[in-house]
Amino acid sequence: MRISGLVGASALALIVSSGAFAQQASLDLVEPIAEYKIYVTEKVAKLVEDTTAFTAAVKAGEVDKAKALFAPTRVSYEAIEPIAELFSDLDVSIDSRADDYEKAEADPEFPGFHRIEYGLWEKNSTDGLAPVADKLLVDVKALEGRIASLTFPPEKVVGGAAVLMEEVAATKISGEEDRYSHTDLWDFRGNFDGARKIVELVRPLIAAKEADFLKTVDANFDTVDKTLSKYKDGDGYVTYDKLTEDDRKVLAASVNTLAEDLSTLRGKLGLD
Amino acid sequence: MLDPKDLRRSSHALDRRRLLKGLGATALGGSLAGVAHAETVHHSVADAPVANAASQLDHVSYLGVHQAGIVNARPANGMVASFDVLAKDTGELETLFRTLTARIAFLTVGGPVPVLDAKLPPPDSGLLGPTVRPDNLTITVSVGASLFDGRPWLAPLKPKHLTRMTRFPNDALDAELCHGDLTVQICANTQDTTIHALRDIIKASSRQMILKWKQEGNVPVITPGPGGRVESARNFLGFRDGTANPNSSDSTEMDRVVWVGPEDGEPAWAMGGSYQVVRIIRNFVERWDRTPFGEQERIIGRTKMSGAPLDRRDGHEFDLPNFTADPEGKATPLDAHIRLANARDEASKAHTILRRPFNYSNGVTRSGQLDQGLLFICYQANLERGFITVQRKLNGEPLEEYIKPVGGGFFYTLPGIRDAADYLGSSLIAAARGV
Repeated sequence: MRISGLVGASALALIVSSGAFAQQASLDLVEPIAEYKIYVTEKVAKLVEDTTAFTAAVKAGEVDKAKALFAPTRVSYEAIEPIAELFSDLDVSIDSRADDYEKAEADPEFPGFHRIEYGLWEKNSTDGLAPVADKLLVDVKALEGRIASLTFPPEKVVGGAAVLMEEVAATKISGEEDRYSHTDLWDFRGNFDGARKIVELVRPLIAAKEADFLKTVDANFDTVDKTLSKYKDGDGYVTYDKLTEDDRKVLAASVNTLAEDLSTLRGKLGLD
Repeated sequence: MLDPKDLRRSSHALDRRRLLKGLGATALGGSLAGVAHAETVHHSVADAPVANAASQLDHVSYLGVHQAGIVNARPANGMVASFDVLAKDTGELETLFRTLTARIAFLTVGGPVPVLDAKLPPPDSGLLGPTVRPDNLTITVSVGASLFDGRPWLAPLKPKHLTRMTRFPNDALDAELCHGDLTVQICANTQDTTIHALRDIIKASSRQMILKWKQEGNVPVITPGPGGRVESARNFLGFRDGTANPNSSDSTEMDRVVWVGPEDGEPAWAMGGSYQVVRIIRNFVERWDRTPFGEQERIIGRTKMSGAPLDRRDGHEFDLPNFTADPEGKATPLDAHIRLANARDEASKAHTILRRPFNYSNGVTRSGQLDQGLLFICYQANLERGFITVQRKLNGEPLEEYIKPVGGGFFYTLPGIRDAADYLGSSLIAAARGV
């Protein structure tokens, strides 16, 4: 689910202008951003691979197999959302929700992962999903292509850690993201991993000056890890309705606090 | 901080008295009381805010043996926000209380907002501009039974009447609008000030608590009549509400009705606090507006236009009905709202509560009706003897056809912040530590 994004050409303009800015802001960021690009590239490659298998199962009418592949496929997308959202046309067609459409689930425009999720869980069927699956795979491959040729804007990369937390805080903690499958905890895992990755990459740049800040951020990520680990089930997680009210509160407070703290990360690195 | 000489003391006289009491001044000199009285424009919580009389510099002290925001007259805007608290031990709870105290101290006094490097998010939302003015702001903090339950280190200190709000027969409680570990009642002259305060508190306490629900409301402002008397505000049923409220500038009466004292048998830490009841009561206003005028008056028990009692139709809002002279309910039906709530006899004095309600208007229901009603708030020294008893008397009243309580909760309002070195809930924290 996107909060903000830029379509094709305007995204490119942003990249060009902020590319120049990055040199002024901090040469120190060059290496972390290069590493982050490798991280995102690997994730999107995994997303293409997993989506290929997932959409094949949908097209073959294998409901159970498709259900099993749904959540693990999405994790890679959730981890790189700050970058994926730069291409808002693709984000809409890959990851928008029924609420974004006037007729909700019945709207013929409703596409992507959640349209397939709706069919699999609510209808227990793959009827009519083949074209949706085809389009999803095309979109995911297009995303991979666009990311390959993208110069990563530093403020988007660094700011991405906060963006991931804002998304969870605003539209995920309620369990509304994966409302048919209730596989939200998988998405959380992707969002938290993606945010923590960014913090890890810039850590050396602020470790000396911002020790207390990093200690607080680490403690909150650890709280999240500890809470999520209680709900592990095999390689993944149990459904969101199994989350206790107490643990939901702990997650909500950690997310709010991480969002507050990580909102200062750009400024701490001298980025506008 | 703003220069104190610029601040305009709230029109209510009691905060000075409270402050004196807090400083250990037990006896009020006649001359001082006289001065205070002369400054008082209106003195009851039920009185409507006076039109065009509010100033951004209106100031209610946040210090005193009792919290502010209970006995001072309602400003035009009010709100209750309920939170879940995460504190796992006494230290974390103290941190939360100290955080809230620091924000209350700044927000209710005012001053320039801090400015940071433009590369960082601003520490203040900026809703009120570069300088926050007090604007009659009060922030009143109360705690729910769930703060104590499930925390073994706090549970033995729970006030004796504090329970999770129970369902009354006419209630249709929405779980998403009920209960909570901690409530913040925010009142101010303008809505911008209440919203600014709420956003400030949420930002400052994100580590310690999460928002559960909130309801905003307001009180219509009224132009004083001849003689300066301000009448009670009207609710969304069009009737004056709060006429029979006790006089909140009478500190003896407030000690009896509102404030918990040694005679109440509560834990020692709770002295100076009060029980807070919040009820979000939806009014079916379309249906009410289609009800005959005479029937409306009989259901409420007052004349609609003036608020006069039904046995003195040409009288005044503040005239007392004589129920004894009307045993069969010919003038005021026996099941009229005001008659059930307060029989005006000796026995009913024990059940007096201090009401501090706000009207709310939220939006449109799924049925295409207005979602309007009353954010009912009341305070009392004894929850069982106060609200619960009054509500039991009201159960089954004809007014129930037109109202539906959908949310709220029972809470305990913490004792006051005694001085600038004290903090909210310090007596509870000390008790939890066994100090």
